Amino acid sequence: MTDAKYSQCRIVPARFLKPETAERLLNGIVRVEGVRRIVVNGPRLPATVPYGPARGKPNPHTDRKVIHVGDQDVELQVQAGMIILEIMDDSCIPELRKVCDEVFTDLSYVLEEGRFMKASPSLTDYAKYGPDADMEIVGLVDPRRNDRPVIIQGLK
Amino acid sequence: MVYKPQYGPGTSLVAENRRKYMNPEYKLEKIRDVSDEDIVMILGHRAPGSAYPTAHPPLAEQQEPDCPVRKLVTPTDGAKAGDRVRYIQFADSMFFAPAQPYLRTYLEMYRHRGIDPGTLSGRQIVECRERDLEQYSKELVNTELFDSARVGIRGATVHGHSLRLREDGMMFDMLQRCILDTDGVVKYVKDQIGEALDRAVPVGKPMDEKWLKAHTTIFHSLGGVAYRDDTEYIEYVQRIHSLRTKYGFMPVEK
Repeated sequence: MTDAKYSQCRIVPARFLKPETAERLLNGIVRVEGVRRIVVNGPRLPATVPYGPARGKPNPHTDRKVIHVGDQDVELQVQAGMIILEIMDDSCIPELRKVCDEVFTDLSYVLEEGRFMKASPSLTDYAKYGPDADMEIVGLVDPRRNDRPVIIQGLK
Repeated sequence: MVYKPQYGPGTSLVAENRRKYMNPEYKLEKIRDVSDEDIVMILGHRAPGSAYPTAHPPLAEQQEPDCPVRKLVTPTDGAKAGDRVRYIQFADSMFFAPAQPYLRTYLEMYRHRGIDPGTLSGRQIVECRERDLEQYSKELVNTELFDSARVGIRGATVHGHSLRLREDGMMFDMLQRCILDTDGVVKYVKDQIGEALDRAVPVGKPMDEKWLKAHTTIFHSLGGVAYRDDTEYIEYVQRIHSLRTKYGFMPVEK
């Protein structure tokens, strides 16, 4: 869960990103000093067909793949549409803008400052984690899934 | 005086396109050639080349009740043969797709017989007898009403019409039924409900932005024709809205 003392910003490109572009962008972002957390937001790419007569059958999708960010492998489960960042303070925003300008050469994007992350546990969080939820993960991962956030420890 | 349908108000290009597509006398421009077999594969209702399963015996073989309406209405080929009722469903991107759900229903009602369309905000389904469906689908896919990137044939999990496009210009599809191949041609790799096909079905190259903006039937204030710029359209819609509200209270037009 987000801490009110940290600033937030989000990067919204004009189009949904390919995994390769998302990988380049995220690798640029993790190199910026002062970025605490990153949430990759977008429509889900399910592993199986969720509705209709083909429900439960495998759903191969070229954009659901593992990308390498920093020193970690991250499985993209969404079509990257928006990157929400929690940052130490506003001083790293010019650096983030520079990263975006390098990645989005033929795409427009918007970098906005504001509050975008979950500020308190929702009912769904309560149902999933109970009263003693680990506040480090609330708001970072989908409470309906068992995934944990990926911790980037190095920049290899 | 002979009634001449006007199809719709508006002075903009979007309004003009809407009228054009609805008018059954206007011949839709054919821009691609997807074969019958390919259409059958995308629809996924029967195996290509197999016989049409039936819901009832052919009309010629069964005793019809003495009904004046049945004497007036000529059955379609599918109804005559007793075909099952099957469907095709489209999702149209709001980024200048050539058609949109309401227009699809209007134009199908003007152009086709024996159909049952269902109109929703982001998708439009049309049901009819199977062999009629294949014939109508071919027209809907092969003509200017379809663009391979901005229109999707999606039986289930249609989400994507109001989302941003993907980087390659394709409308988002959770099931990725079609892919933009390296040769620039869009190919369906799954049928409309998301089951994998035995082979990829090409549906042509995506049309360019200029063509899309010239053929779209969607008002869009960012980059296209803004709805508010078509004053005649606004006036007409406001009049309808006003009348249907007032008529509930006192059906007199002043």
